[in-house]
This record gives sequence, C-alpha cells and structure tokens, in this order.
Amino acid sequence: MDKFVVNIIHRPEMVPEYAEKVTGHGKAEDIGRKALLTESLDIFKTQQRCAHENGLKTTIQMTYASLFNDEAVALAKEHHEKYGDEIALTLLGLPCKEFREKYKTKDFCIWMFSMEDKKAIVRDVFEKFHERFGFYPESTGSYYMDAELINYIKAQYPTVKCAVATCWEEGPKAYHTCNNSWYTFMDGGPWAPWIPSKVNTHAPAANAAEDSGIVAIPHLSRDLLACYDGNGSNFGTHPQNVLRGMIYDTKTWEFPYLYNLIDQYRHLAKYNNGYSYNMMFVGPGWMNKMGRWEAPYELLLKSYEEGCAYYGKLKKEGKLQDMTMSEFADYYRSKKTYTEPECALWNDILYGSEKQLFWYCDPYMRACVNMDQGGAIVDLRPYAAKLEWPVGIGTEHIQDASYPFLIQEKYRAGYFTHYAGEGTVRSAKVCYKGEEVDLCLCRTKAHFSQNGKDRVLTLDPVDIEFEDLTVKLQSVITFTEGSSEIKIDRKIVEMSDPAAKVDIQEYMVACYGTTEYTEDMSSLKLRVEAKGNSVDIPYEYKCREASREGADSVSCVVPPIKTLVTLKAEGPEKAGFVREGYAFSPMFTLGYTGKLHDKEVFTTWLKVERAD
Amino acid sequence: MAQGRKGRLNYRCPACFMRDLDIDMFYDKDKDEYYCLRCQFTGNEAEVLAMNEQIKKKYKVMLKRIPLEDYED
Repeated sequence: MDKFVVNIIHRPEMVPEYAEKVTGHGKAEDIGRKALLTESLDIFKTQQRCAHENGLKTTIQMTYASLFNDEAVALAKEHHEKYGDEIALTLLGLPCKEFREKYKTKDFCIWMFSMEDKKAIVRDVFEKFHERFGFYPESTGSYYMDAELINYIKAQYPTVKCAVATCWEEGPKAYHTCNNSWYTFMDGGPWAPWIPSKVNTHAPAANAAEDSGIVAIPHLSRDLLACYDGNGSNFGTHPQNVLRGMIYDTKTWEFPYLYNLIDQYRHLAKYNNGYSYNMMFVGPGWMNKMGRWEAPYELLLKSYEEGCAYYGKLKKEGKLQDMTMSEFADYYRSKKTYTEPECALWNDILYGSEKQLFWYCDPYMRACVNMDQGGAIVDLRPYAAKLEWPVGIGTEHIQDASYPFLIQEKYRAGYFTHYAGEGTVRSAKVCYKGEEVDLCLCRTKAHFSQNGKDRVLTLDPVDIEFEDLTVKLQSVITFTEGSSEIKIDRKIVEMSDPAAKVDIQEYMVACYGTTEYTEDMSSLKLRVEAKGNSVDIPYEYKCREASREGADSVSCVVPPIKTLVTLKAEGPEKAGFVREGYAFSPMFTLGYTGKLHDKEVFTTWLKVERAD
Repeated sequence: MAQGRKGRLNYRCPACFMRDLDIDMFYDKDKDEYYCLRCQFTGNEAEVLAMNEQIKKKYKVMLKRIPLEDYED
C-alpha cells in the first residue's frame, strides 16, 4: 500500500517575520514589545491545537528567542509528553533582544552569516537548547542550510539527523514578488526529501562517502508547475500562501486548490515506489491577529484549521501517516537508496491549461521535461559536478545559494519567442524540403513507467504537418538510475509518404547561471569529437560553428560551474555540430543532425559530469 | 494633506499583483482612496475588491475539486 507521509512543523517565533512591521505600522521598532511576544505565543498555541485536535503530531522547532521564554519551553515539554511531538531546534526566528545585543546585526538568515558567525550562533543556540531541555535536538533547519553549515552542525551535534534545508524555487521570482527586497535565492534544489551531499546541499549524495549525515526536507511542498512559473509563495502546502495567491472564493472562503495540491502530492507515490511526502510549516507571522493583506484573521485561522482537518481526515482514513521530523529521517533512510531518483509527473491544477511537467531528481541532475513543448527539457541542473558553492558573508555568494542551471527556460528565453534565436532549451526540429518544425510547438502528454533502473517517459505521438507530408513522431525519454544521462528516442511512427525522408536536428541551447542575467562565457570551450578530425572552439562570442559527419560526441566545458555537458547520438547519417554564441545571444548550442525514414529511430544521450 | 496609512486590512496593489508583485498600498483618508507607491494605481475599496476578482480569473479551475483518479499516469 502507498505511504503518504506528512511532517507538520510549528515554531514559537517570538518576533515573527512580518508581524513586527505589520502590527507595528506607525510605531518605532521595538522587538521586545510585550504585546508582540504574547500574541506570538498565542498563535503557536493555536497552531498546536489545530494539529492535536485532528490527531496529528508535530515537530516543535524552538527558536532562539523562544528558548528565553519559560512558557514556550514548558509548552514544548508538555506537548512532547502528551502528544508525542518532537522538540527540535530551528535556526529561523533568531531575532530577539538577546540576539541583537549579542551579535549586533539585524541579519536573520543563518546561511548568510560569515562562517565564523554561523559557528558561534550554532553553538550558542544548540547549547541554549541543551540548557533548557537537557538534550541536543535531532532536527533543525532554516529556509536554507548550506553544506558547510550542515557539516559543522553534524560534526558538533551528531544527534541531528533531519533538517529543513531548502525552499523549492525560492529565488529571483520571490525576490521580484517582494519588490526586490527578499534576498532568498535558493533555486535549483529538490522538491521532496533528499540526502544532501557534503559539498553542496542541493545536490543529493551519490554514496555514503558523499552523505552529509542528515535527511533534508523542503520548506513546504510546492506546486511544481505554478511555482516554477510564478511566485512560489502563493502555491504551497501553507494554507496562508494559498490565500496570499488569492486562490479562494471571496464569498464562501473555500479553497479547494489546497486539497488538490495535497492530493497531487499523494499521487506522486505512483512514481516513487509507493511513497509520497508533504510538509506544512507555517510561521506564526502568517496568522497575525491583524490579518495579512486582504485576508482577515478569521480567514487565516479558518485556512489553518481546515488544512489540519484535511490531513487529519486522511489519517483517520488510513491514507496518511504523520511523523515527526526525526521519525521521518529514520523512515526515509530505511527505504531510500542513494541513487534512487525522485520523480513527479505534475499536472496543472489551477489554471485549466492541462499542461504537464515531469520533474526528475537524482544525485547527478535535476531536470524538467515540458510536455506542452513536445517533451523539451526546460530546466537542467548538473548535480554531477557537486559544485562547491559556499554562501554567506565572506564568500563569493553572500546571498545566492541557488544551484546553477545549464537550461532554465524562464530566465533564459527557452523556445524562440523574441529576437535572436532560441534561448536555453533541449528540443528537436524536424525538417523537410526547406520547412522546419520545432517539437516545442507540438503539445502532448506523457505516461510514466518504470523498468528496472529506467524511469521512462513515453509521450503521445505528435503530428507534424509539412506542405506535402505529414509525419507522426513519438518521443521516449529515459532516465537510467545512476547513469548521469538522459536518453531520448525520436521515432517516426508513420508518414503520409512512406518513402519520404526527413531531417532531424536534435539540439540543446545552454549557458550557465542562477538568475535572469547572463554570465561571462569566455572560459567555455566547445568541442566536436570525431576520429582524427576533432575541432575545438574556445568561447570568444564570435558566432562560430563547427560540424563533423559521424561525430562521436559534441560537448562543452563550463568551468565556472565545473561541468562538462556532452551529447552523443545513434541514428542514420548522423553529424554532430556546435555553435558558439555572440554578445546579443550568448548561449551555446550542441546538436546532431540525422535523416529518418518511416519507422526509424534517432537516439541521443545527454550526459553531465564534473569537468575536473 | 496627512500621511498615508495602512487600513485594518492591508490591501495589495491589484495592478502590481497582476504582474506578480506584492506591494502594500496606503490609504489617503482625504481622498478615500488607496494608492500604490510603485505604480500609478489609485482606487477606492470597491475598485480594489473588483480588481482582485479580476485577478482570480486566471485561476480557471481554482474552485474545482479534482478527484485523485483524474491524474495522468
């Protein structure tokens, strides 16, 4: 039977994000206000009540501030005894009088501090926790936990086995939504629990040597289509985020989207050997008595009560298992192998577009396949590089914790829509007598199957109409566990003229980066590998091209992200090519051309590796 | 003219929301209108609420409960 696990996490945040500024509008800042502290604890009590009334256990993530509050500590102990809640420790909620006086800063995101400060804060917070409870926690977290931070915590406090370690696709989109004021850049990570590698939190460990020693969970379970395109904070298993997105009936205050979102996560068990996961983690600032934006407190409360009630109902029906974070870590370790991928064939459940995305994540890559663009790969993160990427003050990436992409259609154009050719995307073009059709324009649907180590995405065949020829073509995309490769078969299923021959051009347009803005490509090197006839193009933005008939491979080394990306092919009359970008369109292209008769297949393998 | 204030409910600018921006509006009691600091939107409460309903039109299946069986596999 499928197992759907939920973690419900509450934090007594004595000075909730948003609340001080919102409730305190028109007053000078005072984070020690008694009214603020009292209200914050009341919200925590309400959240706990909502969970317990529905038979759900929680993980209580004590904040630093709450460790100075006797009532919060007593409540945690009482609920641990009475309901089996786990008493854990979060690195969110640092702001309080004691913290400000000690660290002389208003910074509050643990991954943005200097390493020296991270260590001092961790020691401070963990020792304070021990002083109040007499043991060290097994679970911790923040919005993001960088690898150096996790490694330090695990070395100093080996009891820790679970952490909230990223917030899926919270990056430039969230920054923009907050009028460029919310500096949480952490795109490119897993959407579901994973075992982080010691080198880069977002990249899952491939083996025991790479294992950071913890199980990571995402901050919220997010809509894998809506969040990819829009503001992530509107579309997650955070009832007030759904209200933030205005995804509710104004008159009845009904919000079925939240339940559809939870249900679609339940459905993901079909792609993950019978297991699926949800987490709900609502900071108290979102249940402010003053309301939040246009949502009054009564609606905020209703959404949380009913969200918990839905999880409780599923539990009563035997369709959900609630766990604390540390319980989940044990369960996850017992069922998961390092190389087992996480898969999600995700449907639009909000806009009525019937669009479908497939997300794949393993220790070597995270990829997104867009069925609305004929099975094009529209996002690709080369985890195989296990890129060292320290973050925080004193590093090269003070705020930017995102894992770099090779392909990201939203930030770097995707299929041609504007001026200078394609942006980043992995697709194919079919050509006949001077006409050319890109599969990105062939909308289709996919079906998932698992065959041993292969996760196979079989797309419904699409019709390509030329002036005097119709071609029915099918794409099959295979992810082989542990291979670091994506195999794509293009098969001509049928042609209106069985004797016709069409050209196929498999291509990948790529670059590197973490934001919308281009990076310096000067250190990249393109190569066509062909026996005795290889050619290299060191990047100089000169718009050069090279091709070789029968090429063994085409590749690009991307030194800034220590990644080698290679394309190989098998098929009739294959020829490999590379294209250098130019200043106005700086992306590079790797590709193969071939020729196909009816029933023939052209196969490519896209591989990502660490370059050094 | 007195300074802008936030109301009991802090309406966001509906014009900015349509472009994925959460911008708190302020209220001018002399004109009985909300105004956006970032864009040129101004409107009374009824206008804000009406535009909020327009926003929701992009969520075509927002109120449809989808049975688990409907998901593709």
